[in-house]
Amino acid sequence: MSKQFFLVIALLTPLMFLLYKLFVVGVDDPIKYIYTLTGATAITLLYATTTISIVKKIKNLVKYRRTVGLFSFFYALLHLLNFIIFDMELDLGFAISETIDKPFIYLGMIAFLILLFMAVTSLRVLFSKYFKYHKVIYIAIILVTIHFIMAQKTLSPEQMGYLFIMGIIIVFKVLQRTNLIKT
Amino acid sequence: MNYIKRKDWQLKESFVTDEKLFKNRRKFLKLGAALAVSTSAVMELAAKELTPFLSMQYKTAKEFMPSSNLHYKEDPNLNNLTPNSYKQITSYNNFYEFTSSKSGVRTLSENFKSEPWKISIDGLVEKEIEIDMDELVKKFALEERIYRFRCVEGWSMVVPWVGFELSELIKYAKPLLNAKYIRFETLYDPKQFPRQNSNLGFIDYPYVEGLRMDEAMNPLAIIAVGLYGHTLPPQNGTPIRLITPWKYGFKSIKSIVKITFTDKQPINTWNKAAPHEYGFYANVNPNVDHPRWSQKRERLLGTFFKQDTLMFNGYEKEVAHLYKNMDLRKEF
Repeated sequence: MSKQFFLVIALLTPLMFLLYKLFVVGVDDPIKYIYTLTGATAITLLYATTTISIVKKIKNLVKYRRTVGLFSFFYALLHLLNFIIFDMELDLGFAISETIDKPFIYLGMIAFLILLFMAVTSLRVLFSKYFKYHKVIYIAIILVTIHFIMAQKTLSPEQMGYLFIMGIIIVFKVLQRTNLIKT
Repeated sequence: MNYIKRKDWQLKESFVTDEKLFKNRRKFLKLGAALAVSTSAVMELAAKELTPFLSMQYKTAKEFMPSSNLHYKEDPNLNNLTPNSYKQITSYNNFYEFTSSKSGVRTLSENFKSEPWKISIDGLVEKEIEIDMDELVKKFALEERIYRFRCVEGWSMVVPWVGFELSELIKYAKPLLNAKYIRFETLYDPKQFPRQNSNLGFIDYPYVEGLRMDEAMNPLAIIAVGLYGHTLPPQNGTPIRLITPWKYGFKSIKSIVKITFTDKQPINTWNKAAPHEYGFYANVNPNVDHPRWSQKRERLLGTFFKQDTLMFNGYEKEVAHLYKNMDLRKEF
């Protein structure tokens, strides 16, 4: 069995856990639960994707980066489908008006479009041509973190953690780009 | 001329049951009971036999239910509301003094000590008083109120509260004529409420809420001391809390220790934290959105799909007159 195979299994764990909670344990507010679990997983995997490029000199995991990034997109897609199918009940007009109306939603949508662009251009035929644009991931990271924080009534310690990690990633990336650190 | 004005909650003459029907009621009752027994038996069988998923849900509906320890008058439930299970009501709570995780409150609040508990009544009153919780409850006859409960975050539940009308307490407190508002305060005790220590500077504690006097005198506003016939568990605001069913849940302040009558509009906690998001009135209004959450629809706990939100949470008939000259978009 290849390491890629185990990685895929590991990346599917949050989905299995979600299905277990929904269909076996039962949750009181399923729509909210799907939002939280898929959203937090997508963000965590997005952080992991960028961390790979930051630490590649210390530990080269670049060959797994595409898989992790695609799974981040996969969970973001589930998150979006939860919005359109379950939350909006396929009322596309309402979904669009809500999106335009609420910054919290359109920041998430913009981030999703960025991830969609990256997922499509990660196909081998397109990758060489579009690779240089993949830096937009940092915009997506900032947008989804703000989106996540705005989804709650107040900032919780857990979200402070997400904000902190996002800060570290951005700082390291800037240092790396400006050649202030060699990684 | 002498005439009797009908109160909002009193039914019209036309609603009175015809005498013939009333006398035949036993027939209806028997028929109804037979129907109820047969359907519930079939449902129970289906739940047990057909799917393990359903039978699990069925069992958990009764889990953790303590036996009733309060004497109260039952709600005739004229709105035909189906209350959420005891487990749902007591394991999905916003109580930020413990944590902002809704499912985390129950375990964090397990050791909350609510005895002894004193409530002080001060401000514009004939005489300031401090009263023991047990003594206070003895003064009023308890009754059940099955109310819709709507959170500003877009979820809702139906709760069989037990309590007494806030107006009874106000009459007992004897406010002065210049008292225009009533202000409530939650216990401040960082030893018991971990997040009062480290609230990250976003919410000021103690938690404060307020009502205009005419709102407070409305018969729908109650002081709850129990739910499902049992005293309130900590996560639901033991030992005493406010319930204003036509307003968003955050208005229904928990674990009250202080009630103040004042001539100035109190600054309530969420309004202070984010004035553009949370107003003083906090009336449930499907036509006025929160900047992040649409208020048109809601997720009733335990159901998957959403339902339409009703104006004033379905209590329009009883409370709309309180706001008739107000612009509800501005005074939200």
